[in-house]
Amino acid sequence: MNTHRISHPVFQPPQAGRWPDTPTDPTGKRATAKWRRWAVAAAGAALIGAQPYALAGVVFETTSAYHHMTVVDAQGLRSLSFDGAIQSRMSLADPTRGHFEYTEYFHLPWLWNSAMRQVLMIGLGGGSAQRAYQQYYPHVTVSTVELDPVVLQVARDYFGVKESPTLEIHIADGRMFLRRSTQRYDAIIMDAYARNRYGCFIPHHLVSKEFFELAEQHLTRQGVLAYNVITDDRGWQSALLAAVYHTMKAVFPQVYLFPAAESQNVVLIGTRSSEKLTSAQLWQRGVDLVRGGQVALPSFLERIQRRQDDAALAATPARVLTDDFAPVDGLLRPGAPVRTRPDSTSTE
Amino acid sequence: MRAFAATSLVFLTGFAIMVLEIIGARYLAKDFGSSFYVWTSQIGMVLVALALGYALGGVLADRHPRTRVLGHLLLPAGLLTALIPSFAPRLLNAIILRHPLGTDIPLLWQKLDPALGSAVIFLLPCLALAAAPPFLIRWATQRVAHVGQVSGQVFAASTTGSIAGVFVSGYVLIDVLSLSEIFQATGALVALIGLACWSLDRWLSPSPAT
Repeated sequence: MNTHRISHPVFQPPQAGRWPDTPTDPTGKRATAKWRRWAVAAAGAALIGAQPYALAGVVFETTSAYHHMTVVDAQGLRSLSFDGAIQSRMSLADPTRGHFEYTEYFHLPWLWNSAMRQVLMIGLGGGSAQRAYQQYYPHVTVSTVELDPVVLQVARDYFGVKESPTLEIHIADGRMFLRRSTQRYDAIIMDAYARNRYGCFIPHHLVSKEFFELAEQHLTRQGVLAYNVITDDRGWQSALLAAVYHTMKAVFPQVYLFPAAESQNVVLIGTRSSEKLTSAQLWQRGVDLVRGGQVALPSFLERIQRRQDDAALAATPARVLTDDFAPVDGLLRPGAPVRTRPDSTSTE
Repeated sequence: MRAFAATSLVFLTGFAIMVLEIIGARYLAKDFGSSFYVWTSQIGMVLVALALGYALGGVLADRHPRTRVLGHLLLPAGLLTALIPSFAPRLLNAIILRHPLGTDIPLLWQKLDPALGSAVIFLLPCLALAAAPPFLIRWATQRVAHVGQVSGQVFAASTTGSIAGVFVSGYVLIDVLSLSEIFQATGALVALIGLACWSLDRWLSPSPAT
């Protein structure tokens, strides 16, 4: 599976790496042949030297089987880009800061289980969530599954991700890993979408009802699934969000919605518990967790307040995505209709 | 007439092959993930099927230059294609679950398992489909002096069908039909091509080309 940190702001490459100016002919008409030689030499130099982002503080650049990756340092922040879109960000002075706000919603599983021990994260990217868990919850074992070995190398070398007894990283497809895992987790955190100038990319096998069933089977009784979805400009009206919501709801008794404040991400939380908590109850639990010292994330309570009721989304018709029918690419196009087929919202 | 029949038929076989390739890669994702190796192996295995199918089609055409023979290949291939949703999950399970649970799959098998999966599902139908172009070149050629033109037309029609298959699957089919429905429809199409081959012999006498 593709395990990328997603990003909201689409990275605009700076105007570096343009082709150098065409060499002018210094000696007039006599030097046509010489001019040609110059042109050939200049074109060759441009082909070799015209790496994009060349002047933007690129620390590292490589191409893996999945992405063209760049690590860029600018204004005290280090960022990781896949194919020109920022996936992850970190403050150089303090690696626990500078991350994207949406990753803080990955602390919310504590609201349903104040004694988490085992967490599975699908998607490594720049390791924001992994670093946060290592810092705030050193007693929690975080297993991470990342598809691309080069992403792991970059996270190790440039984003301070260190494997340890409490942070094990597997190179595998998220779904394949889960299918063959014999463990149960207190929380599964999914951050496996990528977005670039051509729109979002969703691995369809990580969004089907069968996938959510697999996740549910690997959760403890109080376990929760936190699932990051990136929506388009229509946000709530997004056909994709409605489809993911209905698909999760086909498996999890309760699904909570947390739209990020600073980006178009929406973190959906599915619980195995069928009890529906009110926002006031969630807030109270959050206050207790902060007071009790289990959660030290400074903005934890603010994140809880972003909760939105799921009634509007529940009323939006959408088809449950299955392995057999998951037209996620079509759903991602702006203006994609909310698909209603005769068996709309039914499970297969 | 023969040339027209041949180009129409290979347009459709070319179409079906690429539907199987593109939709097949999607189908394999639930078991092998959407990794790079899935695409690599799907493309590789379809090409293996093409190579074998071309060779087989050429040999068959020389020995039995009647389209009925091609029908014998394509009818079962269509049936097999339509049944993919029924038999494939068991085969794929066997491939994946032979690795002990709870351990990482060795890197070599992470690469090779998807190829194995592609092969057990898609090798036979694609092989049968690939036998059509060389077979029909031989069948449609009335005089050796025209073999260049006929083979050019057949190649062009087959590739045009493949191009259509790629875009129709990727841009349309995946959004409107379920994977099972696509396999069933493609299977029906292949079986129909087989039936057409079966009945062509009745309408047209065997090729006089020598």
